[in-house]
Amino acid sequence: MATQEEQIEGFGHVSRTVGTVFRYLLLAATLFGIVALTILLIYVANDAIQPLTADPGWHLTFFLTLVLPTLVVSGYLFRTDPTSFRFGAGVVGMLAVSSMFGGGAAMIFVDIVPPVVWFSYVLAFGLALAGVVGLERLDRQLPFLVRFVGAGAWVVLSFGLVPGLVQSLPVYPTDGVMLTLSLGGPVALVVGRYAAAKAGRRGTAVAILVALVAVGAGEVLGPLLAIGAVPATVLLAVAVVPTAGYAVGHIRRFPGRRPGLALAATILGGALVGAVAVAALGFAGPQSWVDWQFLTSAHSGTAAEAGLYPAIGGSILLMVTVAALSFPLGVGAAVYLEEYAPDNRLTRFIDVNISNLAGVPSVVYGLLGLGVFVTYLGQPTGTVLIGGATLALLILPIVIISAREALRSVPDSMREASYGMGATRWQTIKNVVLPRAFPGILTGTILALGRAIGETAPLIMIGAPNVLFSLPTALSSKVSAMPLQVYAWASLFASEPFYQAAVPAGVVVLLIVLLSMNSIAIVLRNKYQTDQ
Amino acid sequence: MTENPEQEYAAGESTDDPTTDDMLVETDVSGSVASSGPTMSANTVVRAENVDVWYNDEQALQDISLDIPENQVTAMIGPSGCGKSTFLRCVNRMNDLIDAARVEGDLYLRGKNVYDDDVDPVALRRRVGMVFQSPNPFPKSIYDNVAYGLKIQNKEGDYDEIVENSLKRAALWDEVSDRLDESGLELSGGQQQRLCIARAIAPDPEVILMDEPASALDPVATSQIEDLITELAEEYTVVIVTHNMQQAARISNKTAVFLTGGELVEFDDTEKIFENPESQRVEDYITGKFG
Repeated sequence: MATQEEQIEGFGHVSRTVGTVFRYLLLAATLFGIVALTILLIYVANDAIQPLTADPGWHLTFFLTLVLPTLVVSGYLFRTDPTSFRFGAGVVGMLAVSSMFGGGAAMIFVDIVPPVVWFSYVLAFGLALAGVVGLERLDRQLPFLVRFVGAGAWVVLSFGLVPGLVQSLPVYPTDGVMLTLSLGGPVALVVGRYAAAKAGRRGTAVAILVALVAVGAGEVLGPLLAIGAVPATVLLAVAVVPTAGYAVGHIRRFPGRRPGLALAATILGGALVGAVAVAALGFAGPQSWVDWQFLTSAHSGTAAEAGLYPAIGGSILLMVTVAALSFPLGVGAAVYLEEYAPDNRLTRFIDVNISNLAGVPSVVYGLLGLGVFVTYLGQPTGTVLIGGATLALLILPIVIISAREALRSVPDSMREASYGMGATRWQTIKNVVLPRAFPGILTGTILALGRAIGETAPLIMIGAPNVLFSLPTALSSKVSAMPLQVYAWASLFASEPFYQAAVPAGVVVLLIVLLSMNSIAIVLRNKYQTDQ
Repeated sequence: MTENPEQEYAAGESTDDPTTDDMLVETDVSGSVASSGPTMSANTVVRAENVDVWYNDEQALQDISLDIPENQVTAMIGPSGCGKSTFLRCVNRMNDLIDAARVEGDLYLRGKNVYDDDVDPVALRRRVGMVFQSPNPFPKSIYDNVAYGLKIQNKEGDYDEIVENSLKRAALWDEVSDRLDESGLELSGGQQQRLCIARAIAPDPEVILMDEPASALDPVATSQIEDLITELAEEYTVVIVTHNMQQAARISNKTAVFLTGGELVEFDDTEKIFENPESQRVEDYITGKFG
């Protein structure tokens, strides 16, 4: 045999040296940015959280109760049942992210919008919606103008009368009850319907009722846990009940993914057991700068007492304003450009300019905001409204571009199918194009909001105060934001303790908020892609 | 684009007038007998007279004239790029959606020229259903897919009943009756195409245009669709474009052969086309010598 093999000629060799070198150079280029950023983030996180100051026993306890079981369970699940693993991880992630947003929402209800005001406006909105839908159901054949004017009058009437009327009532229910009805009600409707998958009408009704009662439990649980009825109700409504509903509904649809809950139970249970054990054994935790005090107090001259509360609240309000302004404007422009605009020179000119605007430095937008809103329109400097408007202008091109991308991804065969049925363009856009493109539009908008939340320069330009000691309470009050506060600590109050503690802590909080927003966008996008 | 979506029903009003209808039917019969030899037992629904279509400067259809009879299946066959789909899309003015397309000549639907200025293409399309090459259900529930035409056209009536009947006529009801709220995209390819047919017939159009409805399907699904088309022809006028000559021979009553360059070479009863065509080019095409 051996002699035979020698006789057969091989095919020779083709050199791949250059190709291999090229390949590893590309790998290095790919990793360079990620590695550099990771090192920086570890450095910052170490400064902010200071894990080494904790008792070794503290680390050991949490390692045994949380890290080790999580590793074992997730490793096992990941190998044997990846879909269940993803489901379990999704539940934990959803709870974490939604709890954070629940915290933000709780902040709004505690310090900015009193529950009764919210309750009255939700009531007005509900009445307006019921009226409009009722009118639509009543007679589809009524002329459009009659329906439009009737519905408009009804909406104006409900928003004009109901809030004032409710707020002037001599007695109204407790804050917890009002929030349960106005915030928990809609949440329970959605969550209950999802959770009661295929359970029939009665099952759905029961599920909705259970969800509502669960939210209402905040009224009792809040004082027990010493966090107050309002934050507890908000947290239940925004985080706990939706997560539980998602888990239940998902299991009912895909019973095979039940093992995923083991992962969620391991992580949550491990954290709880670890916390109890650490408290019982008397191990001290790390002297983290990111702690309850940091999150709930305002700036102070001493670094140890400084906090980020007004800046977090300011960022939340700014984001709400920015979203409210940029979403309709951006999506509207995108729909026009994609679906209506004729392909002519003007359209192409607008196209090119929107792309260019997306690359204009943010400080220029700050100047624009200052020029237009403060100098020209005479608005006071540094308010929520003009801060939000300036940031909205900043991200508008990004929202337009990503929304157009989403609209373009709707296949033309869908539009043709709709036109072929005798639909007008408006009916096609409303019924076919927008529903299909909506997740993509939402993803792009959230990513754009992520850019806005980290912007400092435009806020400085429009005169937002560096330091604010209380939350803004209206659109016309002065606003500060997280990046601005961090910038102030690093420049105006530049001293060793601020540098070493408050700045990294602020950065960590900002990054966590940013990453959770992006994670929502990514989850949406993945779901969107697999659905199609 | 010449489309004006706000002006709905313009075409509907002018052609609903019964007197015009009757008059036109008479002229149609006599006219077609005179012009194109074959027996005209049925009434003409769609009549094309000297239709030319250009995409920019390229001519896609040359001087097409033909009469499509009522309650029969008319097949259009021919090699790729011969303009048979283009002709189909002239009937419900889907070509309006393509900026580069230009249509000349006259195309009548029940005696009304659909390219007249007072015809609203949206209203026209409500009377002409269309099924496309690849199944394209909306990402909505099965029920909403079928009810789509009813909703956008604001039709009166019991939607549940119409949806059920349409699905039954599309031979899909037995397979989906217990899961009407599931997404139409979860069905198999053949089921999706039958869903599209149910969607097209739900608003009760006068003509159904089918653009290679079975070309993306496997043989079993194809034969189901073919049976369905034969049944639909009892109530509707069906115009079908197909690549598959056997399919045309199996299901159609009349066949139009388009050849390269957008010419209508022969239009006659299907039997005659396949057994004894007048044109040598048609015979070559049908016997597989080219195309």
